[in-house]
Amino acid sequence: MSDNNLMNRREVLQRVAMLMGGAISAPAALAILNGCSPKPGASWQPLFLSKEEGAMIEDVAELIVPRTTTPGARDVGVPAFIDVILKDAYPSEDQARFISGLRDFDAEAQRVHGKPFLQLPQTQRVSFLQQVHDAAAAAEKVQADKEVPAGERNRPFILMMKELTLLGFFTSQVGATQVLQYVAVPGGFQACIPIAQAGNGKQWATETSLRF
Amino acid sequence: MANDQSATQDHSYDAIVIGTGITGGWAAKELTEKGLKTLVLDRGRDVKHGDYPTATKDIWEFPYAGRATDEDMKRQAIAARSGYAITQASKHWFVDDTEHPYTEIHRFDWIRGYHVGGRSIMWGRQSYRWSDLDFSANAKDGIAVDWPVRYAELAPWYDHVENFIGVSGRAEGLAQLPDGKFLPPMDLNCVETHLQQTMAEKFKRKLTIGRVAHLTAPLAHSPQRGTCQYRNLCIRGCPYGAYFSSNSSTLPAAEATGNMTLRPNSIVYELVYDDSTRRATGVRVIDTETNEHLEFTAKVIFLCASTFGSAHVMLNSVSKRFPNGFGNDSGELGCNIMDHHLDVGAGALVEGYTDQYYTGRRPNGFYIPRYRNLGGEKRDYIRGFGYQGGAGRLGWTRLMLDKSLGADLKEKAATPGPWYIRMGAFGEILPNHANRVTLDKTRKDKWGLPLLAFDAQLRDNEWKMRKDMSNDAAEMLAAAGFREVKTYDRAIGVGLGIHEMGTARMGKDPKTSVLNKWNQVHACPNVYVTDGSFMVSSACQNPSLTYMAFTARAVDHAVSELKRGNV
Repeated sequence: MSDNNLMNRREVLQRVAMLMGGAISAPAALAILNGCSPKPGASWQPLFLSKEEGAMIEDVAELIVPRTTTPGARDVGVPAFIDVILKDAYPSEDQARFISGLRDFDAEAQRVHGKPFLQLPQTQRVSFLQQVHDAAAAAEKVQADKEVPAGERNRPFILMMKELTLLGFFTSQVGATQVLQYVAVPGGFQACIPIAQAGNGKQWATETSLRF
Repeated sequence: MANDQSATQDHSYDAIVIGTGITGGWAAKELTEKGLKTLVLDRGRDVKHGDYPTATKDIWEFPYAGRATDEDMKRQAIAARSGYAITQASKHWFVDDTEHPYTEIHRFDWIRGYHVGGRSIMWGRQSYRWSDLDFSANAKDGIAVDWPVRYAELAPWYDHVENFIGVSGRAEGLAQLPDGKFLPPMDLNCVETHLQQTMAEKFKRKLTIGRVAHLTAPLAHSPQRGTCQYRNLCIRGCPYGAYFSSNSSTLPAAEATGNMTLRPNSIVYELVYDDSTRRATGVRVIDTETNEHLEFTAKVIFLCASTFGSAHVMLNSVSKRFPNGFGNDSGELGCNIMDHHLDVGAGALVEGYTDQYYTGRRPNGFYIPRYRNLGGEKRDYIRGFGYQGGAGRLGWTRLMLDKSLGADLKEKAATPGPWYIRMGAFGEILPNHANRVTLDKTRKDKWGLPLLAFDAQLRDNEWKMRKDMSNDAAEMLAAAGFREVKTYDRAIGVGLGIHEMGTARMGKDPKTSVLNKWNQVHACPNVYVTDGSFMVSSACQNPSLTYMAFTARAVDHAVSELKRGNV
């Protein structure tokens, strides 16, 4: 959808909100207006990473959140999201740790399995990823137990990948509305109800842009 | 008014209000409704109600999933200390700290929004009355100076403010936290109710739903405001006008009178004092768009520029009569900085209730009113603290260190996680003359005005209180049967509570205070200061409601004094 349409929709929403003054149900108005969002391209060109590095993170992101009965990380544009957020939202030392960690990850795959990561069969990529992940997660657990804030843990490559894949996926329209459930304007609050009556019973998508 | 012609001249008004935040908006509304032609100045850009550019965006419409960029974090490094202010959805409400520097002798967190409406757009909306426990505390403890006001005098003004802004809450009949004129309360969830019950049984302590300036029912007098839609995106500005802000509420009321002239982009840098009349005649202003220096005159001036904004104007207003800053005969101007100390408390995981969930995003939590040093109890510190907290089911971020990856991870993420509960304390900071702000004449901002230099820190009483603030939270959560109780106590600077106050305190004696009980400068009765600077002690309740009540009361006083010819 074009920027122009996006703007129009926003204006419409603002106006609806202002006019209704909350007296009528907003969800109904929104249901009509919702339903379009920026659509990630199927192919992407990395702006920050090299082409090879881009191919690597695309594969790893898809292993972390794969396409199942619902779309996966690649489908919603997570690889391009990671490339751009690395470029613009991380200081240079974090960028450097990510890149050198990515290279170490590949070198370790080569050492253990005799081939670069991307040339390994699916089952070996999955088990290697799991191994590296579990070791890193166990190490970070020690910091977490000491209440070190998430932003100060100097996450290694594999956990930065996991964090950014989860972030990019579950804040995408598909992740929020098809895998989780989302209502832009709830219009009311029910504090405690049987889970089956809370929409479709899935986890609510709420904004989580801060460090976790 | 005595002289209605004054407003017809370009730069002359009945009243000038400096600032448009919580108190400036109230001063503007009350003054204009009482018929005064009023010039309302704000240093920042104009923001009309509804002019909230991110308010209706979904998270996927923001770049970087809404996170701040590295550049944002450099430009807004002070505001980022809050942990929540600097996101793609909210960063435009906070100043560029590189353009608005200040000097920190000790770490000091001054978190600002320079635009019409000020921080009434981003405030936490928690609205609590003070009681005589608070107003008599300094006298009882023999510290600082006594409040010149008691609850009975203020109660009708609390009523007046609550009736207009709309405060949702539950009456509890507590002496230390008087009930107000409440709209229907929001609900506690099952885990919060569980904690409420065990606290009552085991500790005889109250837990109540937060009292918030949100409409849970329509207000007949403010048809432009709608009821809360439970989006919990308040910090972006509410297009429904469901929570109180100057923009949604007081400024439209002032505008409707036809008596308000709102002038954004106007930095007030000096109050003009006239020796012959012993009154302020007006204000000097820099127009930030043209860089012109202008002067405006009025019969009465309301300084509502925020605690340190007003301190800056007063410290910078030197004259033969006031060589140490406007109205500063006592030497107390800029001193006695207070705030609430926070970022200390505890969280826990909750067993059970897994068949229970919620719909809607409640922009509110629970409140535990102060219980320490009450009823004869004596801790090793004086005063006390309250808690704000909430329970909810953990979402996908809980899986960060979980072993699952792939389809398994995706499925877990779609299933509501266990309940988690957390509470954080807001503690009283004692007034201390040594906690102060001065002008740093060695550094200037881009308009050539001296910067502020902060020299304030937490002291012994606060550090002792902090131990109870984390231990009590853990004890109450453990007593409720919650598991993996963990306390936290993070390093903060004074100011991080964003409840700054005290730099022009009121008092009975002009030798030890800057303002009298009506918020009038002792030495210059046509200047009223009604933002947080008038506060004499900080209590532990969120202060905005009290600022509003004092502001409305001060306007009432000013207008009757004008009529009597005393101002």
